[in-house]
Amino acid sequence: MSEVVLRMEHIVKEFPGVRALDNVNFEARSGELLALMGENGAGKSTLMKVLGGVWPYPSYQGDIFIKGEEKRFYSPRDAEQSGVAIIFQELNLIPELSVAENIFLDRQPTNRFGAIDWHQLNSDTRALLDELGIRDVKPGDQVRSLTVGKRQMVEIAKALSKRARILVLDEPTSALTDKEVADLFRIVRKLKQDGVCMCYISHKMEEIKQIADRVVVLRDGQTIGDVTPIADITLDQIIARMVGRDIKDMFPRRERRRGEKILEVRNLEVDHPDLPGEKSVKKASFSAYRGEILGISGLMGSGRTTLVSAIFGAYPAATHGDVLIEGKAADIHSPADAINHGIALLTDDRKALGLFLDQPISFNTTIASLQTISAPLTGVIDASWERVLAEKQVAQLGIKAPGIDTIVGTLSGGNQQKVILGRWLNAGPKIFILDEPTRGIDIGAKVEIYKLLDRLAAEGVAVIIISSELPEVLGMSDRILVMSEGAIVCEFTRENATKEAIMEFATGARRPAE
Amino acid sequence: MQQNQVLQFVKTNATLIALVVLTAALALADPTFHTARNLSNVARQVTIVGIIGVGMTMVILIAGIDLSVGSVVGVAAVVVTLLMQIGMAAWIAVPVTLVVVGGLIGLWNGFWIARYRIPPFIITLGMLTIARGVALTLSGGSSVPVADPSFANLGSAYIPPVPTLVILGIAAMLYVTRLVRSLSASRKSGSRADVDKLVAGVIIAAAGFALAVYVFGGGDGLPVPVAIFVVIAGAAIFVLGHTRFGRRLYALGGNEEAARLSGINILQTKMIVYVIVSLLAALSGILLASRLNGASPNLGTMFELDAIAAVVIGGTSLAGGSGTIGGTIIGALIIGVLNNGMSLLGVSSFYQLIIKGLIISLAVWFDVLQKKKWAG
Repeated sequence: MSEVVLRMEHIVKEFPGVRALDNVNFEARSGELLALMGENGAGKSTLMKVLGGVWPYPSYQGDIFIKGEEKRFYSPRDAEQSGVAIIFQELNLIPELSVAENIFLDRQPTNRFGAIDWHQLNSDTRALLDELGIRDVKPGDQVRSLTVGKRQMVEIAKALSKRARILVLDEPTSALTDKEVADLFRIVRKLKQDGVCMCYISHKMEEIKQIADRVVVLRDGQTIGDVTPIADITLDQIIARMVGRDIKDMFPRRERRRGEKILEVRNLEVDHPDLPGEKSVKKASFSAYRGEILGISGLMGSGRTTLVSAIFGAYPAATHGDVLIEGKAADIHSPADAINHGIALLTDDRKALGLFLDQPISFNTTIASLQTISAPLTGVIDASWERVLAEKQVAQLGIKAPGIDTIVGTLSGGNQQKVILGRWLNAGPKIFILDEPTRGIDIGAKVEIYKLLDRLAAEGVAVIIISSELPEVLGMSDRILVMSEGAIVCEFTRENATKEAIMEFATGARRPAE
Repeated sequence: MQQNQVLQFVKTNATLIALVVLTAALALADPTFHTARNLSNVARQVTIVGIIGVGMTMVILIAGIDLSVGSVVGVAAVVVTLLMQIGMAAWIAVPVTLVVVGGLIGLWNGFWIARYRIPPFIITLGMLTIARGVALTLSGGSSVPVADPSFANLGSAYIPPVPTLVILGIAAMLYVTRLVRSLSASRKSGSRADVDKLVAGVIIAAAGFALAVYVFGGGDGLPVPVAIFVVIAGAAIFVLGHTRFGRRLYALGGNEEAARLSGINILQTKMIVYVIVSLLAALSGILLASRLNGASPNLGTMFELDAIAAVVIGGTSLAGGSGTIGGTIIGALIIGVLNNGMSLLGVSSFYQLIIKGLIISLAVWFDVLQKKKWAG
């Protein structure tokens, strides 16, 4: 049996209000590929950032051993010197430079005048690429001109040129074509033979079965079970470890009565922003009804956010297909059009896409209802009306703040989320879409939001929730759509939905019958 | 606690305090500074930068910039005088110039910035050169005299002291009624009005009225350009604080993507803002040509820098989303008072440039300090 080269013990990492890693223990051996599995937010990426020195010592607790020797990484450079390299989803290459310049960035061979020795640089790079069997990338190619798959290989070559013995790959195949995946796996197998230890984060079950030697599962910041050889565990067992939580009775539920169909989406497609010809949403069709909560489940990057943003008119030029509201074709070319049709969208990133942090609660809760609070012709705002609307939301959502003049940037995450909820409630939507409505907020605020959504549904609003948290989707929804790789792959009713079944479709372990 | 409040007051009103200190110091240093005649002069000098500054505040509020305003001043001055040369009456030439010069240049800038997302810095830098070239071409490189004598009224005439005092009286009455109404409104809604803030506001307003009466209530009265500036500034303060359009500007500058997803028409809003700033720059050019009784094609060179300086000294953030017209007025006054005072004291114009630059840097540094509150 090969040698244990990496051991992480009792790792704890806290962010304000959240314990992202809560006593994680695992080990990896030379020449093996260890799969790190877990739901979104389980702590995989955080763990790898601790290993890579991105979260430096002592911002975490616990011990890291490399070849039995205790290490403390104060920076990514420290980790690199101990042979640890991380290849992140967002690649760290400089597009304007050549492959060779990227690989030997800041370490270029120089001649005796101190200038870069281009001949040496290119031949070193050629040798490195040959060793990995990468034939179709030339040292002089500009990185900008390479596909994502080739860029990834350049990253790997760069890591190996620094004598990395522990390589972390964070969802490396999420943007690759099948052929590129095959090429990547060929390199991975070669690295195994060379004794490189690889930690591999992925959601794709198929891949794990193909190339992993052992697997470890993270859930809620903890390792679940031991590191297990892949031959000794079934996909079902892995999924069971990933979703294990029980649904507590956090989820309120009144008697809901499904009303008439209010939204129908037919064959909606969205062009991929970077890859011409590719679609980030493929032929999506579904309906939503008054008085019903529709859940949309799926892994991050499965196209959920893109789908609802497209319905909301966020990408008018890239969106194809039909949206019908109350049976009539709706021409939605901008978010303003969508709002006029009675649609509201609570975005998943409240800081970047939602809040005006320098402005008070009153401003933030009325910005989508300016027509309501102002005179139609002159646009003069009725200050007392604005006050009434803002105070109504502060009261009904229980926003904790000194008053409606409080600057939103000073509020806690949960209260900020309520402010945006208040904005959309003031707009009075008929169709209310919420993208990760409870991300990063504490449990108390979560339950309050669940109660509110339940009440809205009871009042006849069509509520659509996107969530990465399975218990939330299962607990709140009357129907659940599952998305995978840009397509809606399955629809469950509340009665026949299980965590396991949803996970199987979301990860592509099961595919819809054609 | 008490000390904390004082500190807070100083922090939020730093520029105003700087203006008061500067004025007091100059009044002590030079006996001619605080004469009504000199102060009236300062006010008139400030109007040109002030009017452009109002537009520039809106542009910077949406995280943009307009470097072409100085050249627009030049083109507008040349066009309005040329139109009168070919026989157009002043009262027609002025609105035609506003629409043709201000409107078209604003639409051009706004179109590229809003529709194609070209950085405002670049597109208005291009317009800075283009517009100056147009001014030189149209005028043949030499000054254009004014053909219609009535045109001079715009820049050089005065509203006599008696009507001025009446206007000031009405303004004071309006202010008091508004104050009373907002006081009773805040009592009704139960939220305790911030007493310190209120008192400070009343003192500032009273001092402003007293100064206005002293400067414009005697002598020749209120210069027409100053009156125009006051009307424009007042309208802009109202628009920014109390209308849908104002809200859109703060939203757009604070978080453009969030604004779009809140249903705000980004393209339209940006276009309107760039048209407004060009219109105001053109108006400044017309006022300047009227006062100088002629237009040089080089009129307005470097005005963009004074306007931006006034906005920044006034506390408007270059990152967009926060700032006020009131601040810009104070900023313009600081620059105006500084220019006037240093000239009176015989400071070399070379030193004047250095001091002005240092003050601008200081203002931006202060803005950065303020921003750190919840950014880090």
